[in-house]
Amino acid sequence: MSFLLSCPNCGPRDVNEFAYAGEVTSRPAERPSVRELATYVHFRRNVAGVQQEWWFHRFGCETWFRAERDTRTNAVLATEAAHAEPDGQAAPAEAAVPDVPAV
Amino acid sequence: MRLPPSPEERIDRSRTVTFFFEGEPIEAYAGDTIGSALFAAGRRVFSRSFKYHRPRGLLCCSGHCPNCLMQVDGAPSVRVCTAPVREGTRVRSQNVLGSLDRDLLAVVDKVGGPFTPVGFYYRTMIRPRRAWPYYERFLRRVAGLGTIDKHARRSSRFDTEHRRAEVLVIGGGPSGLDAARAAARDGRRVVLVDEGLALDAQLPREDGFETIAPARAIGIYEGGLVPVDAGDVLLRFRAERVVVASGAIEQPLLFPGNDLVGVLLPSAVRRLTRLWSLRPGERAVVITADDRGLAAAEDLRRAGTSVARVVDLRTTQPAQMAARGSHGRVRSVSVDGDSVDCDVLVMSGGSQPAYSLLAQAGARVEYDGTRGIFVPRDLPPHVEAVGSAAGEGARGAAAVPAASYRGTESGGRCFVCICEDVTDKDVKRAIAEGFDSIELAKRYTTVTMGPCQGRLCHLPSIRLYARETRAEEATIGTTTARPPWAPVRLGLLAGRGHEPAKRTSLHHRHKELGAQMMWTGEWRRPHSYGDVAAEVRAVHEGVGVIDVSTLGKLLVSGPDAVSFLERLYPNRFGDLKPGRIRYAVLGTDAGRIMDDGTIGRLSERDFYVTTTSTGAETVLAWFEWWNAVWGYDVSVDNVTGALAALNVAGPRSRALLARLTELDVSPDGFGYLDAREARVAGVPCLLLRIGFVGELGYELHFPSPYAEYLWDTLLERGADAGIRPFGLEPQRILRLEKAHVIVGQDTDSESNALDANMSWLVKFDKDDFVGKWALEHVRERGPRERLVGFEMANGTVPPEGGQIVVDGLPAGRVTSARWSDAVGKAIGLAWVPPALADEDSRIEIRVDGRLEPALVRLRPFFDPDDERLRA
Amino acid sequence: MRDIFRTRRMWRPRGELKDRYDVVIVGGGSHGLATAYYLAKNHGITNVAVLEQSYIGSGAAGRNTTIVRSNYRTPEGARFYQRSVELYERLSRELDFNLLFSQQGHLTLAHSDRALITMTERAEVNQLLGIDSRVVGPPEVARLCPELDLSHDVTWPILGALYHPRGGIIRHDAVVWGLARGADRGGVEIHPYTEVTGIERSNGRVTGVRTTRGDIECDTIVSATAGWSTLVADLADVRLPITTHILQAFVTEPLKPFLDVIVVSSQMHVYVSQTDRGEILIGAEIEPYTTYRGTSTFPFLEYSARHVLELFPQLENVSVLRQWTGLCDLSPDYSPILGVTEVDGFVVSAGWGTYGFKAAPIVGTTLAELISTGRTPELIAPFTLERFYTDTLVSELAAAAVSH
Repeated sequence: MSFLLSCPNCGPRDVNEFAYAGEVTSRPAERPSVRELATYVHFRRNVAGVQQEWWFHRFGCETWFRAERDTRTNAVLATEAAHAEPDGQAAPAEAAVPDVPAV
Repeated sequence: MRLPPSPEERIDRSRTVTFFFEGEPIEAYAGDTIGSALFAAGRRVFSRSFKYHRPRGLLCCSGHCPNCLMQVDGAPSVRVCTAPVREGTRVRSQNVLGSLDRDLLAVVDKVGGPFTPVGFYYRTMIRPRRAWPYYERFLRRVAGLGTIDKHARRSSRFDTEHRRAEVLVIGGGPSGLDAARAAARDGRRVVLVDEGLALDAQLPREDGFETIAPARAIGIYEGGLVPVDAGDVLLRFRAERVVVASGAIEQPLLFPGNDLVGVLLPSAVRRLTRLWSLRPGERAVVITADDRGLAAAEDLRRAGTSVARVVDLRTTQPAQMAARGSHGRVRSVSVDGDSVDCDVLVMSGGSQPAYSLLAQAGARVEYDGTRGIFVPRDLPPHVEAVGSAAGEGARGAAAVPAASYRGTESGGRCFVCICEDVTDKDVKRAIAEGFDSIELAKRYTTVTMGPCQGRLCHLPSIRLYARETRAEEATIGTTTARPPWAPVRLGLLAGRGHEPAKRTSLHHRHKELGAQMMWTGEWRRPHSYGDVAAEVRAVHEGVGVIDVSTLGKLLVSGPDAVSFLERLYPNRFGDLKPGRIRYAVLGTDAGRIMDDGTIGRLSERDFYVTTTSTGAETVLAWFEWWNAVWGYDVSVDNVTGALAALNVAGPRSRALLARLTELDVSPDGFGYLDAREARVAGVPCLLLRIGFVGELGYELHFPSPYAEYLWDTLLERGADAGIRPFGLEPQRILRLEKAHVIVGQDTDSESNALDANMSWLVKFDKDDFVGKWALEHVRERGPRERLVGFEMANGTVPPEGGQIVVDGLPAGRVTSARWSDAVGKAIGLAWVPPALADEDSRIEIRVDGRLEPALVRLRPFFDPDDERLRA
Repeated sequence: MRDIFRTRRMWRPRGELKDRYDVVIVGGGSHGLATAYYLAKNHGITNVAVLEQSYIGSGAAGRNTTIVRSNYRTPEGARFYQRSVELYERLSRELDFNLLFSQQGHLTLAHSDRALITMTERAEVNQLLGIDSRVVGPPEVARLCPELDLSHDVTWPILGALYHPRGGIIRHDAVVWGLARGADRGGVEIHPYTEVTGIERSNGRVTGVRTTRGDIECDTIVSATAGWSTLVADLADVRLPITTHILQAFVTEPLKPFLDVIVVSSQMHVYVSQTDRGEILIGAEIEPYTTYRGTSTFPFLEYSARHVLELFPQLENVSVLRQWTGLCDLSPDYSPILGVTEVDGFVVSAGWGTYGFKAAPIVGTTLAELISTGRTPELIAPFTLERFYTDTLVSELAAAAVSH
């Protein structure tokens, strides 16, 4: 990867400095049914277009931030540091892609 | 033989260089390329073609075509036309059976034609199936070009530099120089990179901007990254503006015999005659669509080659054109039935803008029907094109040649792609077979997929394709331009090859003690110090010490620390008193186990959290995220690297510690799961009384600069108690005897805390915690598999990863297994079906293909009541 | 053999779309074409259209690194892919088209004791299911692949490997073309450059598709579109637990035979093979971020080169000729999502991540059976979309690399 992301602290940096942590999703406010829980845990919108997503400046200032990126072009439209949210924010995807053989 | 000296020539006749071709010494002048020196020495055949093994000679002399690929000092497929001569270099031909001049595989060209049309391998060698491996071995042997010394090691050193420029100009021709000068005049910081092949000899070194040559841009990638191949250094450029002045590429004409030795593109003539003062031949014919061919005719005349005929395609449109040769060398050319003898044939089919870099950068490529070339359009921001790369026709109008020319009755192959030996017939056949889009045709015929990367065949193949399908070139489009722009060596891409590795502050002590080191994640850790059994015994009977500095260590502090941890972990912490410790398992909202560790409460608002060695980074990021979005008043500090940690364990650990600290280490003063801060041997320590290895023990966490001192002191003061350092392997046995779980080995990405027998730590009565809902569902539906201990009935140690077999099928798996001297049995942990998860259940484990019986055990194998741990 | 002396069309030229088909297959890649081929061949269902937004094989089918193997971790996966390998083994003869299947063997290297455990688990599962797969130590690794750097002064010494003799590489385009020809001869229509823009439904079942070339009625729609799976499923309001990522690969200039076994190092995220054309083909792990932009990146070349040279230092002066990128549809458990959905008549083959190409023939046979009989074949029952709602995942993920 090599597009640029603008860390709210550090400014534009190569995407390799960051860890991607998935789409911004919402955590159920009440105890979900099995189906609702599965939807929350496993299902993503995966849009071809502008997506709200989580990034972590892993090899940098270790700040979490949200980015608005167009998944068709990788153009990053905006970034914003993570801040306290009302309930309903869901955790980012755990770590990056696991260590399994691709072939 | 050289021509008389000229001021333009690049050779230095006062200095000679000797290199070896096929073992024979060749004398060259400084300034020669291997190609020019071989040409001067009389060599005309430089390679054999990929499929038909036809002789091939210099064609472009510009590093584009595949005709001069040779092995140079072991490196395969070097374009010798641009490789400078060096003293002692060893040069060999490649892809020949026999010699360049007598290649036995040339028989394919003589007889193989009808049997080897395009894609023949898809239609043959299908039956019988068992013969295919033999056919395949033969195919593989005849395919490929260069060879590799299988025993070679890395020999060169490559470096990577990160560079910035306000304006990066790619290409040092007239347009590139103009652009660089103009930008420099505007006060910009300008760097110009050039391949160093320009005809105008050396690039001028100018004030105002930096020139790097020879250096070749590899591509224009996302984020404006322009890596540049500068020989042994990879320059990773980021520039505010990139100016592409990569010029144009001379195109061949398609007619039978267009690959014969002696057929040249105009630049080859110019370079041979002007740079190296060589005469290309005695008698030449020039067929040209533009002024380049006319210029080449001038160059030829000046070099003493007679020019027998010039065919200017702008004024004549021949219906027939063919070159004939003998022994692969051109002997005559016939145009519209008029045959002229010659040993040089210059062909110029116009020039195609070298747009690849621009296309990679995102430009659209469009066919300009009037000029018969592809031109770049809609350049992305910050990238511009100048000169002939932009499609500016500086050299005057060129004719659009025929897509291919009909030959004479006697035939002869007309090559569309000389890299892959694809002929016009092959393309026609592919179309007739239904490969009716250019991308399909490319894949089927392999046109553009060879070493020239389409430079000489992309445009001609599309013209031919358009004519044969009666379509407009513009509607056919192009095939995708794939990076890199020019072949780039793996060594250069790899650079110096740093791999991340972490060492603890005791690394050298471990090495001195003869430890066998092993990888655990990014950490290097001692497997053991040579005697695993003795190290285990020391911990059971005396005292041992292990370096556990690799544990992740986080300080969680603040007024909301309790709420924060209670919401992250399934455990409860509100009731944990300062000075006490609790084992904790971190989970996800999917209910899966993520990590584990101990959490010690240092004060009302300070917690000391340890994580697994490889989980530290993930856990820290996880904490930081939840902390940010929940908005708790908590700070999380990572002290993993700042603190070293030692686990001093064994029945004599208390006595040893008592010698080194004033802390009350009596069972009453410092009980199991207590945390204390005190000095040990003068070093400020946090002491945690926990017992992963199952014996009385203390984890000492302290500033890492003291690590060697404290380690040495412990070994010295514990010598009389028989202290031994122990490694990971003894630790694994010791913890297995206690059935202590290693997260990531005994659990995997699907494991949850309930099935892993950790339900005691899950507090469902809390309002919320990460993973609560998922665990509630697991509780309701019941376990699907369970993590249990087992002991083997007959002492065989099953493999870790071994299978529990029910009815001949996999039904569970062994995650840990060892022989334990202390227990006197082979023991282990395994995931089994719930029906087999009761004490004394009999399971069968596959070992070396046999089924071995084992009994399920639900309690620790050693010291089941933790008496030694709590002692 | 006589085929080489005459020119026969592989398939009919693209015709006009009919108003109605029994089955519309979205995606002219290996899965879509295999399904079409087996629908016609095994079940006589020929009123079928394959719709492809570009040329056939333009997506994952033409961009993968062509490895075929069955040494998977889960019994469900291993059994499934084993059937696929068996079908591939006879596919050249069946299609009368040489797919250049080179069963040269597949070595997955272990650089840590944790990796050895994972490989042991795979080998044991595989052997119980009758799959030739075993863990070998360094001496046998050296015998199988003498070119590997087995010294200890490297970053990641090789402690052993999982060896799978029947693993191999195959010519991916030939698979596409062979299946396309077979489907065409069976009566199926193939429509390249035909993009699906909508899916019509009525009472919870599909009734037709809208395309850039007109509307079609149909009873069954199969989505076999890899990286675009969620976009097609969105048209039917079916949600899939999939994210789209890029996977990259490159080839070097062609070399004389250097390597005659496939070498994979998951530790170093790299796999290496030599094609029948002589190119060294190198692939990597998927990029972690989701994207539909199939652009090649430079850091991929850098880290792959670094890792390849760790394994094969002899390749230092070999040059990279061409790099490319494809889109992968990654599922949460790295197992496919195969079969029916909550919308009647909307069948998916999705979530393959990097494994899709290996499964083409078995996907084709099982989906064809599903469509023909209306029943989900037992072999693919574990891969239903419903499993994500019932939390019965089929996890091909190895244990996380965590250690005390």
